[in-house]
Amino acid sequence: MKMLRTAVLALAGWLGGLAAAQAADPVNVYTIWPENYARPMFQEFEKQTGIKVNFLRFSSGEALARVIAEKNNPRIDVLFGGPVETFAAGIKEGIFEPYKSPSFAKLPARFKQVDGQWTAIADDPLVFMTNAGFLKTNNLKPPASWDDLLNPAYKNMLQMADARTSGTAVTRIFSVLEVNGRDEEKTFAYLKKLRQNVQVYTKSGGGGTLPTGLGQAAGGIFFIVDALETKAKGYDVVISFPKEGIGTSAEAIALIKGAKNPAGGKKLIDFATSAAMQSKLAELKVNFVPANPDVKTEASLAEVLKGAKIFPIDDDYAGANRKRIVERWIKEVLPAQ
Amino acid sequence: MAAGQTASWRRVAADPALLTAILAVWILLLLFVLYPLAHLLERAFFDESGFTLEPLLASLVDSGHQAAFFNSLILATAVGVLGTALGFLFALTAVRAGLSRHWLTFLDAAALLPLVSPPFTTSIAIIFSFGPRGFITHDLLGLTNVSAYGFWSTMSAETLTYFPIAYLTLRPILAAIDPNLEEMAFSLGGSRWRIFRTVTVPLAVPGFANAFLLLFAASLADFATPLILAGNSFPVLPTQAYLQITGLFDFKGGAVLSLILLVPAVAVFLLQRAWVGRRTYVTVTGKVGQRSRSRAIAPWASALLVAACVAVAVIIIYFYALLLIASLVVAFGANNSFTLHHYEVIFTEGLPAIRDTLIIAAIGMPLGGFYGVLVGYLIARRNFPGRRAMELVAMINYALPGTIVGIAYLIAFNDPPVALTGGVLIIVACYVFRYSPTGIRATVALLQQIDRSLEEASSSLGAGSGETFRRITLPLIAPAFFAGLGVVFIRSMTAISATIFLVSISWTLITVRILENMTEMALGPAAAFSVFVIVVVFIVVAGLSAILVRLRAPAAGAAARSFLGG
Repeated sequence: MKMLRTAVLALAGWLGGLAAAQAADPVNVYTIWPENYARPMFQEFEKQTGIKVNFLRFSSGEALARVIAEKNNPRIDVLFGGPVETFAAGIKEGIFEPYKSPSFAKLPARFKQVDGQWTAIADDPLVFMTNAGFLKTNNLKPPASWDDLLNPAYKNMLQMADARTSGTAVTRIFSVLEVNGRDEEKTFAYLKKLRQNVQVYTKSGGGGTLPTGLGQAAGGIFFIVDALETKAKGYDVVISFPKEGIGTSAEAIALIKGAKNPAGGKKLIDFATSAAMQSKLAELKVNFVPANPDVKTEASLAEVLKGAKIFPIDDDYAGANRKRIVERWIKEVLPAQ
Repeated sequence: MAAGQTASWRRVAADPALLTAILAVWILLLLFVLYPLAHLLERAFFDESGFTLEPLLASLVDSGHQAAFFNSLILATAVGVLGTALGFLFALTAVRAGLSRHWLTFLDAAALLPLVSPPFTTSIAIIFSFGPRGFITHDLLGLTNVSAYGFWSTMSAETLTYFPIAYLTLRPILAAIDPNLEEMAFSLGGSRWRIFRTVTVPLAVPGFANAFLLLFAASLADFATPLILAGNSFPVLPTQAYLQITGLFDFKGGAVLSLILLVPAVAVFLLQRAWVGRRTYVTVTGKVGQRSRSRAIAPWASALLVAACVAVAVIIIYFYALLLIASLVVAFGANNSFTLHHYEVIFTEGLPAIRDTLIIAAIGMPLGGFYGVLVGYLIARRNFPGRRAMELVAMINYALPGTIVGIAYLIAFNDPPVALTGGVLIIVACYVFRYSPTGIRATVALLQQIDRSLEEASSSLGAGSGETFRRITLPLIAPAFFAGLGVVFIRSMTAISATIFLVSISWTLITVRILENMTEMALGPAAAFSVFVIVVVFIVVAGLSAILVRLRAPAAGAAARSFLGG
């Protein structure tokens, strides 16, 4: 019995020790940005402030589900990266603590929530990405219009994200709505036609990039950061933009209500919204477009974006209609084959 | 198989070892199965205004959800039937075809591969092989515009992934059938086919039922395979539930969908009980005559069996060769030059995940093995009030989709009185209570074949129930113990659907890293991690078998080795 108690005490001490091992109150973070984008940012933060960042990566839906489930006893201080629509859904759940960083005032209106519930750290436009080999074999030009994607040559060969899980998909659908002057009938007629060429709707926004790179799919509609990453990996893909224009979505950061280390969390938000971090994006070839107006878009990224017609998705309109539009998409577009 | 004793608390109370065991199991089940489930029910049926059935009714009339419900049943039935058939094919070949040790090891290893790798590896291999630009459909057969998404690919992937469970369940049962029985029937003039039909197959019935149940439940709960392979024309419930929660941020709808899913799982379970319960299958009586070499299978049939198994094994090995190649080239499909860089990455950046996973698996393994045998023994051999309820409750976490178990644990254990999130215990508990049912079913199936008179002899010689269990029953069910332990270890290394919600900043898992790598399009490290997992599992499993051979009677050792494929 005595031995058992000693063992239990030792175990408890060890487990406790694990939690207390790090001095200087680290910041705990769930990141929605993939680790290869987020890690260098956190390393830079650590270098500048001496505060360690403990982080775990989840897709936006998983991260939000967790934060909501942990609402009464939050395990993290900051939710990092991910499209603003995820953050908009979070506001309804009351999981954020409003905070305005020093850069807040400088940011254009669409890069911040009025009360400071979230602040944008980057912008991420959609692009068309196609497999170069496929274009050549089928004697096609890179798609330069939304209607180009309806070409029967792409039948069953496009991959793009599923609106049930992915912010990429929601941005895509709202892009089509904008292009069609918010005429929902025209929009859904187009989406149903596009459905005929879609091989599969993927869970995550970038899910179709590797298949496109490998030629399993001919192409799709992705965020530029994922498309350029595919290219950087060495896959022969072509990036193009529709002449009618395409939407872009801001990536945000927010402080968690009831955070155990709010001071550290605020410092991370100050850093992430500042020029200090966003100029790192270019340096490390993480191809988000900076949100902070003091940071210039990196030359090669600017080159890709040159001439492209890109418009922001109207937050109020999207917020008010998102649920209804997505439900209609599930009912009408998804089974339409 | 139900005991002649009446189920009364008085009898139980007179046996302190039994009472302690029953109470301990119930406390654990209450805490780790019913408590989270209650939280989930609360989510599904209560909102600010109190009790409501509205989300349930809304789900029931939704045509998409109805389709998903029937698709799930069709898929689970197909996987259950085909997987059991394939498992039986492998088990029969292993036990009766008279293969040499090397061939047996080869078949075992091939059959175990799908079981010891993260579930989506088979899916990815199928897309690479049978997709529009698949190595087989496009490069080899020249087909274009083939779709790798839908019912057929999902069913094939799940069957290949889960048939080893049927193999593991059926093999010891076939092995425990005394060949002398078949021999007797043979010398009485029965034809081989007739003997197979009237002796071998009926004796294996508890195994069939168990295997089918396990596969049906596994398929019903699997969300990773359909998520990748089902495409959009074949929705199934677990995937819908997952999408409902993580995509539409709708906890209530997701909880309701998973509760709907529980209905067929429970139905199949009760059906199986009623069916198997009525017959007796005792073949281990302690009175076995000298074993004779089986003549029950004709040489040509033997050859056919072996050929079929080898064909399946070759397909599996081809899939995993793709994985190995992907781990050793710079960028699969784009730059095929050789590199060890991905392995370097997993042993530097990935090291914490490797360490955590091994610690978690090492803690969960013995706990899961012991828990499985204990519950299986109580259910099959003891009569006490609430026995059936215990059996049912012990299966719940297995039958529920992992996402739901994960979310239920997260909700239940985030706040006091039992705050466990962020620690290691919550992950271990999730694995033990989710994956031990394999051990429980294996124990039950094995005990149904062992004559109770062995234990009764021990009792009448004055041994208490604890001693009888330890000295008589435990050695007899050692194979089931090691099967249960093996499955918990394997799942600790490979499962993701539940634990993705339970990993924390201090404790993470290899499988979560693999998914993360997939998201980053880093196929190389994902493949390297998978290869690492497979190698570790094979080493541990081989080690377990070796220990068992040393410690136990040769017969038990052989049976256990066959279980684990060492």
